[in-house]
Amino acid sequence: MRHGKYPLIVTFLVPPVLLYVVFVVSPYLQTFQISTTDWLGYSADANSVGMANFKALWNDDYVWNALKNNAILLALVPVLTIVLGLFFAAMLNMGGRKGRAGVSGVRGSSFYRTVYFFPQVLSVVIIALLWKEVYHPNKGLLTSALNGVGLSAPTWLGDPKTAFWCVLAVMIWSNVGFYVVLFGAAMSAIPKEIYEAVMLDGASRLTTLWKVTIPLLWDTVQVAWVYLAIFALDGFILVQLMTNGGPNFSTDVIGVRMYDTAFGSETKFGYASAIGVVMFFLTLTVAVLALRVSKRDRIEYS
Amino acid sequence: MTTLDKPAAAVAAPAAAPADRPVRRELGVANVLSHGFLLFWSALTVLPLLWMFLSSFKSNTEILADPWGLPAELRLDNWVRAWNGAHIGQYFLNSLLVVAGSVTLTMLMGAAAAYVFARYEFRGKQVVYYLFVGGLMFPVFLALVPLFFVVRNAGLFGTWTGLVLVYAAYSLPFTVFFLTAFFRTLPTSIAEAAMVDGCGHFRLFFQVMLPMARPGLISVAIFNFLSHWNQFLLPQVLMQGDESKWVLAQGLAALSVNQGYAGDYAQLFAGLTIAVVPVLLVYVAFQRQVQSGLTAGQLK
Amino acid sequence: MNRRDILRRTAAAGLLATPAAGLLAGCATGGGGDDKGDAGTYKGTKSEQNPLGVAEDAPLEVVIFNGGFGEEYAKAHEAMYTEKYPKAKINHSATQEISKTLQPRFVDGTPPDVVNNSGAGQIDFNGLVSQNAIADLGELLAAPSLDIPGKTVKDTLLPGAVEVGSYDGKFLVMNYTYTVYGIWHSTKLFTERKWEYAKTWDEHIALCKQIKAAGIAPWTYAGLHPRYMSWPLISTAIKFGGPSVATAIDNLEPNAWKSDAMKAAADAWHQIVKDKYILEGSSGLDHKQSQTAWCQGKAAFISCGSWLESEQKDVTPAGFNMTVQPTPSLGSGDKLPFEAVRGTAGEPFMVPAKAKNIAGGLELFRIMLSRKGAQDFTKKVSSLTVVAGASEGVELPFGLATVVKALDASGSNGFNWVYNNYYRKLERNLVDAACGEFFSGRIGPAEFLDQCQKGADSIAQDSSIKKYKRAV
Repeated sequence: MRHGKYPLIVTFLVPPVLLYVVFVVSPYLQTFQISTTDWLGYSADANSVGMANFKALWNDDYVWNALKNNAILLALVPVLTIVLGLFFAAMLNMGGRKGRAGVSGVRGSSFYRTVYFFPQVLSVVIIALLWKEVYHPNKGLLTSALNGVGLSAPTWLGDPKTAFWCVLAVMIWSNVGFYVVLFGAAMSAIPKEIYEAVMLDGASRLTTLWKVTIPLLWDTVQVAWVYLAIFALDGFILVQLMTNGGPNFSTDVIGVRMYDTAFGSETKFGYASAIGVVMFFLTLTVAVLALRVSKRDRIEYS
Repeated sequence: MTTLDKPAAAVAAPAAAPADRPVRRELGVANVLSHGFLLFWSALTVLPLLWMFLSSFKSNTEILADPWGLPAELRLDNWVRAWNGAHIGQYFLNSLLVVAGSVTLTMLMGAAAAYVFARYEFRGKQVVYYLFVGGLMFPVFLALVPLFFVVRNAGLFGTWTGLVLVYAAYSLPFTVFFLTAFFRTLPTSIAEAAMVDGCGHFRLFFQVMLPMARPGLISVAIFNFLSHWNQFLLPQVLMQGDESKWVLAQGLAALSVNQGYAGDYAQLFAGLTIAVVPVLLVYVAFQRQVQSGLTAGQLK
Repeated sequence: MNRRDILRRTAAAGLLATPAAGLLAGCATGGGGDDKGDAGTYKGTKSEQNPLGVAEDAPLEVVIFNGGFGEEYAKAHEAMYTEKYPKAKINHSATQEISKTLQPRFVDGTPPDVVNNSGAGQIDFNGLVSQNAIADLGELLAAPSLDIPGKTVKDTLLPGAVEVGSYDGKFLVMNYTYTVYGIWHSTKLFTERKWEYAKTWDEHIALCKQIKAAGIAPWTYAGLHPRYMSWPLISTAIKFGGPSVATAIDNLEPNAWKSDAMKAAADAWHQIVKDKYILEGSSGLDHKQSQTAWCQGKAAFISCGSWLESEQKDVTPAGFNMTVQPTPSLGSGDKLPFEAVRGTAGEPFMVPAKAKNIAGGLELFRIMLSRKGAQDFTKKVSSLTVVAGASEGVELPFGLATVVKALDASGSNGFNWVYNNYYRKLERNLVDAACGEFFSGRIGPAEFLDQCQKGADSIAQDSSIKKYKRAV
């Protein structure tokens, strides 16, 4: 490098770092500090209480209940979304008639792709409001459809037994389209010759998908996994707008718990910040684990 | 290569012919099945939206009494009520203004920082990089209260400038993470050749690297556009008071909360539709760019 | 841009440069809570004409909860204020998210002068009171009424209005409306079907049976906010066991929720669940949806407060004629008569302790509590105010007229509870969840009371929540 690189580094890095430190890092640091106080949020008085908030958290049944729900989401949302995404992407890209040229997409695949992607461009607020009406127990689209074929319908969001699964379904609904397109793009990047070679060997479509496509897609799946895991740990806006954690805390998630503690039924900002700090470390752990696990799998495949 | 393959396949074909029939039938069934699944998911995606659209023309009584029914007439006054009465039109323009500014700023700063992370070595680089990427893990609303004071103390409370800066700041983690990965995938040979030709660091970035990074830039810009456009919590806290400066999401949220009290479902549906239709139209018009934009970079 | 702003920005630059050092202390006070002090507040000279000492040119910032009552009524009150003080500039805003909007401004020490702290996004009063964030309204009570000669503001209020807004003996919250809670039905429907509202529980169950046989669900409720059903249940218990039932609950006494009266009431109400007298699917409806189902004649009864009529204005069929009634008596052993209803002041207004124009805030309350202000409110939003007799001479809609009648009949037997004001979380989260389980039939009466008691105990044991004792 003949010219000094430092003028560029400084010019390019200082403004973003400054902006980021002022508006992102400093508030977050303050949050960590608030989590060790008993601050109630409406005056400047705050006493340091050390780790008392975290101790109280450990014994808080409602927090554990919310964490349990997050854990279920974490176990199911990424898997189901990725499986559905791969399934539809495979159909769109390889579902067409097996011709001499290996594989092709089904007819109308671009139409499907367009439609599937719709939820991705909508705001979560709109998605939540729409689905709340879809799940309406008397005249929602779902109940009417079931009643139409002579089945009785549950009360969806009104029943602790079903509410959680209804929310989970919306999470998957709103995400699948994106991953169909993502996986689809990755699939079309796989050279045709590979398929041709495999198909000449007489492999069925399913084996092709399983033995060729998915291993080649593993990088993408891994990225998807991390994003979906973070999404599953959050889920805040969707749950808050659809059920606010109810009925009987059956759809409570940790984000809602934190929000409710600070802005909802209480004003315990110190405690809420402590929940947030726990959430931060959980997300971090999950992201690191997700990367680790998928990395190991990848080695096995290649 | 294909020309060579063809005769071979043609030779193999007659022998395979008897076995081909059941395979064909199996494929036919598979096709029906796969189209069935695909259509089912399309319906699942489209129905709620269609229903929202139709409901925006219904009267409140129609919405409550018969959600499946069609509107008896096209009640455009719902739309008028949402556009004027609930100021959705104005909020729409406000959102455009804010998002135009914030996406531009995010891209400028994000690309600059990412380029440095991807292409230069300096002490403490890892620390600064992970400082940015760590921001991906943190829920935004946890920072809301301290953030309020930072913004207020900077004299930016209730201003669009404040929103632009804050949106940009909170988009930097993803943008930097994504673009750093993208810049790393670009071939180094061209950059080296340019340097040999006497191209300076700054010229290299603006004239060689940025154009090369276009696909990545577009994809992250679209991603940021959508997330800024749909941003809800930040304006709620940082853009209070002066309703004339609100952004679209605030207007919609107010409309939806208000619906719970005033019971004007039709106005809510009209407001939602007004918010959704342009975004969907833009998406359908540019879907190839949006889709490849949103997904291309993630594959790297 | 005045000097203080510039100073503040300079100070802010310092804060920004060392973001970690400032932290909470910096953020909580750095915004300028200190540099204002008394210098920044507005005070006028007290006189007979101006008992509260309003500075006539001081600006007044008012934040209204934009809910069922809208904001127009408040604008009318503000207009009355500017009529009296033409030099005052009023900054009016309305929001549905009081908590989110105002929380940072409280910490900053720059809250508005008047806050209508109401709705789902209201700020928990427990937190506000324990942090001394609300101004004492005692001076307002002692001030003479604006247009009711010879009376102080306090003299003009309905009984109980002061008590509800008082914490540890200090009157901090002005609850403006007077709300009656009861069981609602359509007079039209009942006349058509020749049904009569039942005064005892056994008759009520018999009537439910009859209604169900006619193909109408006897009851519906807001399954997503099931606390609405806690109101008639607790009312039944209080009428059975006397007002001490409520006092025990309010004061978080051990096993208050498992008193004999509460047991009797829970057992009684369990009947409508057991016998399936509740509209199918109710557990998935929100308040608006259940009320609308009721307005459409799908259910005969619903539990609600007296805001119901104005809330349902748009979807109520003509001639529906909604009527409020007290909860049925359990039997002849009831301590309170059938006519006793829960009446309470609602729709809280407050003046933050750090408001710049406290006197102006109190004066606006005095205007609201004048006969003229109260009548204007009743006309605009069809709701009663805490000003006694202010609805006289105002033509009331059907439902509100039945509210006035019920209130008159109840007289001195009226009762109330305030645990929901003291401990917002207890009603909004914990009792709410228990009601959801109980009225959807997933748990029985004993488990229901256990769950409520467990919630109350968790509040009682939480040392971070300030406790209040109810006087009576």
